[in-house]
Amino acid sequence: MAVDVREHEEHVAHAPPPRRRTGIRRFTGPGWLRVLWLVPLSFGIATGFATGARAALGYEPVWNLQVLIVAWTIIVPLGFLTAIGGFDYWARYVSGRPTLPEDHSGHGAYSWKDYFRVNTDHKVIGIQYVVTTIFFFVAAGLMAMFMRAELAQPGTQFVDTNTFNGLFSVHASLMIFLFIIPAFAGLGNYVIPLMIGAPDMAFPRLNALSYWLLPIAGLMMMSSYLVPDGGAFAAGWTNYAPLSVEQPAGNLMFQMGVQWAGASSIMTALNFLVTIITMRAPGMSFWRMPLLVWANFATSTLVVVATPFIAGSQFFIMFDRVLHTGFFEPGKGGDVIAYQHIFWFYSHPAVYIMMLPGFGIASEVISVFARKPIFGYRLMALSLMAILILGFSVWAHHMFVSGMATWLRIPMMVTTLVIAVPTGIKVFSWLATLWEGRLHFKTPMLFALGFVSMFVIGGLSGIYLGSVPVDIHASDTYFVVAHIHYVLFGGSLFTVFAGIYYWFPKMTGRMYDERLGKIHFWMTFVGFNVTFFPMHWVGLQGMPRRVADYDPAFGNWNLAISLASFALGASTLVFLYNMIVSWRRGARAPANPWRALTLEWQVSSPPPVFNFDEIPQVVGSPYEYGVRGARHAVMNGKPVEAGRAPERVEAMH
Amino acid sequence: MTLVGLAAGAVLAAVAIFIPWLPDEASREAGLIDNAFWLVTIICAAVFAVVAGVSVYAVYKFRAPPGDLEDGSPIHGHTGLEIVWTVVPIALVVAIAVYSGVALGQAEEIPEDHTVIEIRAQQFAWNFTYPGIELQEGRQLSSGELVMRIDDPVEFRITAEDVIHSFWVPEFRMKQDAVPGITTRTVVTPTKLGTYPVICAELCGLGHPTMRSQARVLTAAQFDRWVEEQRRLAAEGASAGGMELFAQQCGSCHTLADAGTSAQTGPDLDSVLPGQSAEEIRESIVEPDAEVSQGFQPGVMPGNFGEELSEQQLDGLVEYLRESAGGGE
Repeated sequence: MAVDVREHEEHVAHAPPPRRRTGIRRFTGPGWLRVLWLVPLSFGIATGFATGARAALGYEPVWNLQVLIVAWTIIVPLGFLTAIGGFDYWARYVSGRPTLPEDHSGHGAYSWKDYFRVNTDHKVIGIQYVVTTIFFFVAAGLMAMFMRAELAQPGTQFVDTNTFNGLFSVHASLMIFLFIIPAFAGLGNYVIPLMIGAPDMAFPRLNALSYWLLPIAGLMMMSSYLVPDGGAFAAGWTNYAPLSVEQPAGNLMFQMGVQWAGASSIMTALNFLVTIITMRAPGMSFWRMPLLVWANFATSTLVVVATPFIAGSQFFIMFDRVLHTGFFEPGKGGDVIAYQHIFWFYSHPAVYIMMLPGFGIASEVISVFARKPIFGYRLMALSLMAILILGFSVWAHHMFVSGMATWLRIPMMVTTLVIAVPTGIKVFSWLATLWEGRLHFKTPMLFALGFVSMFVIGGLSGIYLGSVPVDIHASDTYFVVAHIHYVLFGGSLFTVFAGIYYWFPKMTGRMYDERLGKIHFWMTFVGFNVTFFPMHWVGLQGMPRRVADYDPAFGNWNLAISLASFALGASTLVFLYNMIVSWRRGARAPANPWRALTLEWQVSSPPPVFNFDEIPQVVGSPYEYGVRGARHAVMNGKPVEAGRAPERVEAMH
Repeated sequence: MTLVGLAAGAVLAAVAIFIPWLPDEASREAGLIDNAFWLVTIICAAVFAVVAGVSVYAVYKFRAPPGDLEDGSPIHGHTGLEIVWTVVPIALVVAIAVYSGVALGQAEEIPEDHTVIEIRAQQFAWNFTYPGIELQEGRQLSSGELVMRIDDPVEFRITAEDVIHSFWVPEFRMKQDAVPGITTRTVVTPTKLGTYPVICAELCGLGHPTMRSQARVLTAAQFDRWVEEQRRLAAEGASAGGMELFAQQCGSCHTLADAGTSAQTGPDLDSVLPGQSAEEIRESIVEPDAEVSQGFQPGVMPGNFGEELSEQQLDGLVEYLRESAGGGE
């Protein structure tokens, strides 16, 4: 740490350190006190701007809800980010004032309050991310429970169609943009610098800012229920034009929420890329990187290239609504299908954004708990890159029945089916990693193995949907609902759970309760399959998706699905209880409870503020379990060996 | 391990064979699509059996005894195996792609001698028009339900008035989005007499779950009789045809006990219509947003019934509604 501070001081001209603010000045410093007045103020500015501009231009009426929402969703978040302190350092720099000395007061968390500040420590940010995303996971899960309650019987019982359409739209949007994508970003944030032997991310302030964009996006989407005249956005998370253009004003909350979530994704991805490319410890060549780092490298590339497309698609919808541009309105020369092409050019790669980090987590967990090197390491890394490249060439398989150019279906079918090959390589390699291993069925391993088996089912149902003739029948049915939940729940969510359990000791310094963890796994595994497997059948038989009401012939199956889904929902309570109680009262975690070789386990749990007292020297592969004399790294002059990893003294705090 | 794999395969085969995965096969295209479906199923079941067999065996065979601190065998890879599990999947997906491509080509082939039916989708109703069949002088036959002749290939030309819809009859397997601004096409050759649901498969707004109609497959003689019946109703015009017209055009959204409809997308006509004059009823049909019942949104009911229906049909419908509303009480 000392090294870091000195380096900083040598080449940056600094003003003297700030005095502790007292009296009224406490309201001008970064933090929640400044939020108290700056957010209402920016709300007023936005309102004044939106109405003032309309009045000046002579538009009637001056109060236009859509225009107001656009102004609010841009200006209020900026006011909040300014108030909480997201821009303080840069503001000084930009305005030509001397920047504040980096005293590292924004590093480390010493009380729970530090998690509610702009903190530049990647470990604090990682935990902020994971906890925030779990909040949205629970919220979106509750919406699914409401949907299943409604669907338990044909006809409408609890909610009307409009509310139901809002429920599945917000459910999907939160799960995708506020849970799976950022949950992986959070785990990566915590683990990647540790895994590559770096003291922090390349851009800690950008990292902090990218976190604070998330709650903004999430609250925006959730608050859409409160928008007058129609409530939440209800055109699905795909928000197809022209339905989205003619929707009530709540639809704007999706378009604008996605912008904030997308900006957060892009910032984090750039940060990951620069960190991975430039901040690896000496000796950590690309071929010595853990597969989780490879996976996040591929994912971040996808995010940076693809995310602007969804931003564009939603901006165009917003322009069509507010400025009456007509990008997607045939009556005004627009093209309805163009929206789908732009949307899926992001949203198909997004499927891999939501899956590749999970592949990385599964590789770490399976190797460690099988006590074996990962099978075919290089092919595993290369298949990630193959998926990255192929992932950009398959988007239109979501549009086989859309009425797009018919010839495009064949090449898209071929690429879609071919992408199963690198995916298959990964699955077979995980299985081969189990072979002749010594398998320890701790909770992370259970979730990783659950992931492999469930993801195989999701992948195989993807083959059905990839075949154009089969897709013509199955698209837009419950078969698709089953497929995406096998991929995103059985795939992504299982690996998120695996990752959370696996790194829980590292992140909190406590052990989770193994027995509760196993109960959680089995409830989830059984509940998940009973909930989602019958949906394949229901869909093929003729039940379309996104319906509040359906053919009574499917009543019994839907009742069974709903009951199973409630059990599945209840399993989350076990998880939350385990996390909260273990974090407070769990047994102290040793530095390396899993006897793993990767670098994050070679420092204390939780790690020191700057991760490594001494930069590790990487000398070999991260997965050399069972190889006599092989080493991944040398730290403090001592080799790091499997099963005999050095227990380090509690680092400075 | 072979045993475990075989057991997994046997269970899967049973699941695949004994559960009726697909609905009735009622068109030529359904047969082609189902063949592709079963090819994919066979390949996927085999792959899954291998994966399940290996995992179950490995989980059982290689579990570590409690307190075990040993490592597993340091196997880093096996080039031969890696080539096998790259090449075999490539072969399998190429087989699926080729078969699917051929099946698609055959399914979408339009024979020289075929019928054209135009589908117009709008929130939240289907309209099927038969070019070449005249209802009256200068007026084409059109209907809210789809009626087809058995073994007669039909080319559907599909458009949408407002947002995207999707035309789907599960028993025909064919599905095609209806897109505003363009005409999309699909082909169906019904091969089995019967009545099947027409379903909107693409989320289109509040009435999406109720945007349904039915497809009736008739013999050629029955079809001709149906056409005659339609002509007769159109000629009579008055309230005699009102109930059929209501069931076709309005029943997918409105409840009316007399016509036997019970949909809830729009207001319940048994409770809102009694006491309304003929002019008021006519206005509600022709200009639905002029006055919207409490608890319902404007913009949901199509606004083009004034152009869609002939003057006689409209008269008949208003007459019928005035007579029958409240009949459920």
